[in-house]
Amino acid sequence: MKVALTGKRLSARSIAILGLLMALQLVLGKFPVFGIWSVRVDFVFLATFIMGWWFGPWWAGLAAVICDLVNTLILGGSGTYFVGFTISAFLGGVIYGVFFYRQNMSWWRVIMATLIIMLVVNVFLNTLWLTILYKTPFWGILPIRILKDLILTPIQVLLVYWLGTNRNMLSLRDRL
Amino acid sequence: MSNKLLLGRFIPGDSIVHRLDPRVKLLMSFYFVGIIFLADNWQTYLFLFLFTMVAILLTKIKLGFFIKGVRPLIWLILFTVLLQMLFSSGGTVYWSWGPIVISSYGVVNGIYIFMRFVLIIFMSTLLTLTTPPLSLADAIESLLKPLKVIHFPVYEVALMLSIALRFVPTLMDETEKIMNAQRARGVDFGEGNIFQQMRAIVPLLIPLFVSSFNRAEDLATAMEARGYQGGEGRSKYRVLSWQLADNLTILAFALVTVVLVILR
Repeated sequence: MKVALTGKRLSARSIAILGLLMALQLVLGKFPVFGIWSVRVDFVFLATFIMGWWFGPWWAGLAAVICDLVNTLILGGSGTYFVGFTISAFLGGVIYGVFFYRQNMSWWRVIMATLIIMLVVNVFLNTLWLTILYKTPFWGILPIRILKDLILTPIQVLLVYWLGTNRNMLSLRDRL
Repeated sequence: MSNKLLLGRFIPGDSIVHRLDPRVKLLMSFYFVGIIFLADNWQTYLFLFLFTMVAILLTKIKLGFFIKGVRPLIWLILFTVLLQMLFSSGGTVYWSWGPIVISSYGVVNGIYIFMRFVLIIFMSTLLTLTTPPLSLADAIESLLKPLKVIHFPVYEVALMLSIALRFVPTLMDETEKIMNAQRARGVDFGEGNIFQQMRAIVPLLIPLFVSSFNRAEDLATAMEARGYQGGEGRSKYRVLSWQLADNLTILAFALVTVVLVILR
C-alpha cells in the first residue's frame, strides 16, 4: 500500500535532479521563445515530459503539482490559484510518466501521449476550470482553445520525439 | 529584466498584511475563491468589493500593482463579459439583432462576471505582493504536513520545492547566457518561419538540460557530504509563528462569510 501511494523512495540525487527539473520547468514557462500570430509556445511540457520519462508517473505528477503551486502562488502567474489547474498539471505529469517511463520511444507513443494530454487536459479540463472559476461560457471559448491546441499538437509531438531520442538526453538518463 | 521574474511579485513593506503568518494568507486566499461563489446579487458583490478594497488599503501598496495583475487575463475577461452580455436573455431588452440580444439581465451578469474576475485576481495578487517567496514555500510545506498520514512524501516534496525556488534565478541567468552565446554564433531566436524558429530552440534546450543535470549532481554530492540522509528526523531553522493578528484575520473572513450568507 505504502509503495503504491508513494512510489519508490528517492535518493538525495534524485531529489536534487527533480528539484532542478522543476526549476527548469518554471524558467521555461517564462521564455515563450517562438510563436505564430498570438499563439505563444512555451516549453513547459518538455520539462514535464523529462520528469515522466525519468521518474515515472507518480513523481512526475507530484513535481508538476508543486510547479503549479509555485507558479501561481509564489511567482504570481496569471490569475489565481485554483485546485482544478493543479489536477490538470498532475494528470499531465502522470500521462507522460505512464507513456514513457521505462518504455522505448516511438512515434506512436509520442503522438498518443500528446493527443491525450491535449484533448483531456488542455481542451476539456482547463476549459471546464475556467467555466467554473470565472463563469466563462464553456462552448464560447472551446473552439478557440481547440484551434490553438490543433496548432500546438504537431509542434509538441516533434519536440518530444526529438528530445526523447536525443543522444545527450539518453546518456543523461543512463547516468540516473 | 530577469530580476523581476525571479522574486515573484513580492514588494517589501511593513504593513499589517505583510506581517501576517504566510499560512493564514495562503489559506484565506484559497478561502476567498470559495466564498466568491456565494455572491449572487449586487449587495454581495459590493460587499466583497469593499472588503477587498479595505484589504488592499491595509497592504499600503499602490492600487496600480494590483491592476497589473489583471493584465495577463484581460482578453479572457473581455471575451467572457462580451459573450455574457450578448447572448443571455431575460429582463428588459434594450437592443436585439438575430440571436444577439442586449438585455438588462445580460448587462448585469456581465458586470458581475467582471467583478468576479477582478476580485479573485486582486486577492491572489495581494498574497504574492505581500509575502516573500521563501515564507510562502514554508507555508506550503507546513500546510502539506497533515498529508503525512497517508504516506505523502512531505519532506521530499518540501526539499524539492526549496531547491526549485533557489535555482529558478540561477537557471534564468543560465538561459540568458546560453541564448546570448548562441546569438553570438549566429542563431536568431524568434525569427523566420515556424520551423526555423523551432530549430533555433535546439541549441538552447539541450545545454540547459545538461547543465541542470550536472548542477543537481553537484548539489546532491554536497548535500550528502554535509550529512543529509533523507527528510525524517531533521530540525528546522526557519520557524513560522502564529499571532493574534492571524486569528483576527480568520475571524474577519468568518464574518464576511456570515454577512454574505445573510445578504444573498
